[in-house]
Amino acid sequence: MPPSGEAMKRRSVLDLLLGVGVLGFLGSVLYPVLRYLKPLGAQTQNGPIKLAGEELAKLDKEHSVIVRAGATRIVVFEDSAQRLRALSARCTHEGCTVQYVPGDSVIWCACHNGRFDLDGRVVSGPPPRPLDKFSCTREADGAVVIQLGRGPEAA
Amino acid sequence: MRAPGEMPPPRKGLYGFIDRRYGITPLVDFLAHKEVPIGGHSMVWYYLGGITLFFFAIQLASGVLLLAYYQPGEATSYESIRFLTTKVPFGWLVRSMHCWSAHLMILSLITHMLSTMVLKAYRTPRELTWVTGFVLFALALGFGFSGYLLPWNELAFFATAVGTDSMKAVPGIGEWLLQVMRGGTDVSINTLYRFFALHVVVLPLFTVGVVTGHLLFVQRQGMAAPMAHDKPARGMKFFPDFALRDLLLWLVCLIALASLAVFLPYGPGIPGMEWELGKKANPLAPAYPGIKPEWYFLWVYQLLKEFPAHLFGMEGSQAAIAVVSVLFGIWALVPWLDRNARASRPSPAFTDLAMAALVFLAYLMLKAWDIGGGEAVLPDPRAVARICAYWGLLFAAVTVAVRLALRSAPYFDFTAAAALQIALHGFVGLSYLAAGAISVLLLAATLAFRIVRSRNAVAVGTQP
Repeated sequence: MPPSGEAMKRRSVLDLLLGVGVLGFLGSVLYPVLRYLKPLGAQTQNGPIKLAGEELAKLDKEHSVIVRAGATRIVVFEDSAQRLRALSARCTHEGCTVQYVPGDSVIWCACHNGRFDLDGRVVSGPPPRPLDKFSCTREADGAVVIQLGRGPEAA
Repeated sequence: MRAPGEMPPPRKGLYGFIDRRYGITPLVDFLAHKEVPIGGHSMVWYYLGGITLFFFAIQLASGVLLLAYYQPGEATSYESIRFLTTKVPFGWLVRSMHCWSAHLMILSLITHMLSTMVLKAYRTPRELTWVTGFVLFALALGFGFSGYLLPWNELAFFATAVGTDSMKAVPGIGEWLLQVMRGGTDVSINTLYRFFALHVVVLPLFTVGVVTGHLLFVQRQGMAAPMAHDKPARGMKFFPDFALRDLLLWLVCLIALASLAVFLPYGPGIPGMEWELGKKANPLAPAYPGIKPEWYFLWVYQLLKEFPAHLFGMEGSQAAIAVVSVLFGIWALVPWLDRNARASRPSPAFTDLAMAALVFLAYLMLKAWDIGGGEAVLPDPRAVARICAYWGLLFAAVTVAVRLALRSAPYFDFTAAAALQIALHGFVGLSYLAAGAISVLLLAATLAFRIVRSRNAVAVGTQP
């Protein structure tokens, strides 16, 4: 005998409850897994950072050095006028590490041939945004300090 | 002699023991009667799936051997691979076999997929065999990508930085996906731990499952006969005739693999197909000039270069990844898109689509290799585009000549569009994207014209 309208209504209510229960169950299993996989936030480094002796030696010898600052990498270099500059070393295209090319006075990313000027502005290639710029100074005792705390300077 | 309907006497021995418990006789009968269609020039293509499976088996075996020494970790990944290749007896051979077999597996997989496309073996009722095959192709790319990072060398580091960064292009969950893949905001040793788990546990489990499904489909439905031989006159017994041929070919593949691994232990030296350990990854070193991903990712690498910083309100790399996703989507849905093949009618357009895809990929690969750029670190892009265009068009001409020689139906719309893009970019000097847009528009107009004309012809034909 086919089920009556009343029985059908009851069955669809039960189906709905079952469906919601199954979805709830899946959610309660998946949420902890997804939350577990998402890494904890990286420590953000604030305030000035000082280049270590080894980094300073490399800067003096090769006119540029890449240093770690919290979760980011920063390229510190001395331009042709001996002025110290600091830019984010992470290419805005696909995240490769850029380098200072003293001969051409450009910042170059070897991965997809992106080029930036010494203020971090895109000159050519596929990068969509300029590199973040940081203030960088050499103190009287020769130490090189990058200011992170006030955030990247506008390029 | 047995009377009709009388059951055969029960078998003795191990077979009888298993049969009495699990009733395997119907399965054995099915396999004993299985046949492979004979006819046309397609027989050779039937072996490619088996070859891919063989290389996958080599990957599992050599992978387990590598695990005996490999230690994931910032201070151990690179060092353990160096130790393995320089100190462990035959360690270099195991690693070389693993690398060579990985490349050969991808190569045979792609050839298998292309031959399936050209022979229309995906047509009804084998759509799901194509889809599982496509999933296996995606898994193979995942294997290549995740395995690349494990030696923790410079090349691996930047290839992974670029590859994972493109994840941010996924709408909505891109940033989340990027962090989950990397285990942080940047590629670090945490990324290696995740890729290691993916490479040695998750992907093999999935692959074995999908391969099982793929093989069950093939065994249940049999191999697809070529279109012109839908009802082949003859068949070859799968067991033992075809299986023994398979086995012999696997032996040949093993000898070829071993020879390559011994004589070229670090690969053929082509960018994208070499596995010298090189320098240890240093997240604070800049990317070095000439950095290239594996050969089967080169076309994506080159597309990322060709896209401008912004396009249609998206970042260039997002637009490039969107294009790649659409192309993959079309490829996965081919059995449903190809309506002629579904109705067992000849479908030259999809043969041409496969050939055009090859021409499109070949040109991007040639450009990625900077063919014609000389020894310069930063070759002149115009010169590279022009020289590669000669080779790309030559390749397109060869595919057309081979098809004409094989008396394939003369349908060349897609190949012509691919060739036009190459010519406009390489010789006229238009940007790669502008040349592509003109070619796609002309192709769309041609296809629309053909559809309207065939509808009119049908309408005229059905007039009383």
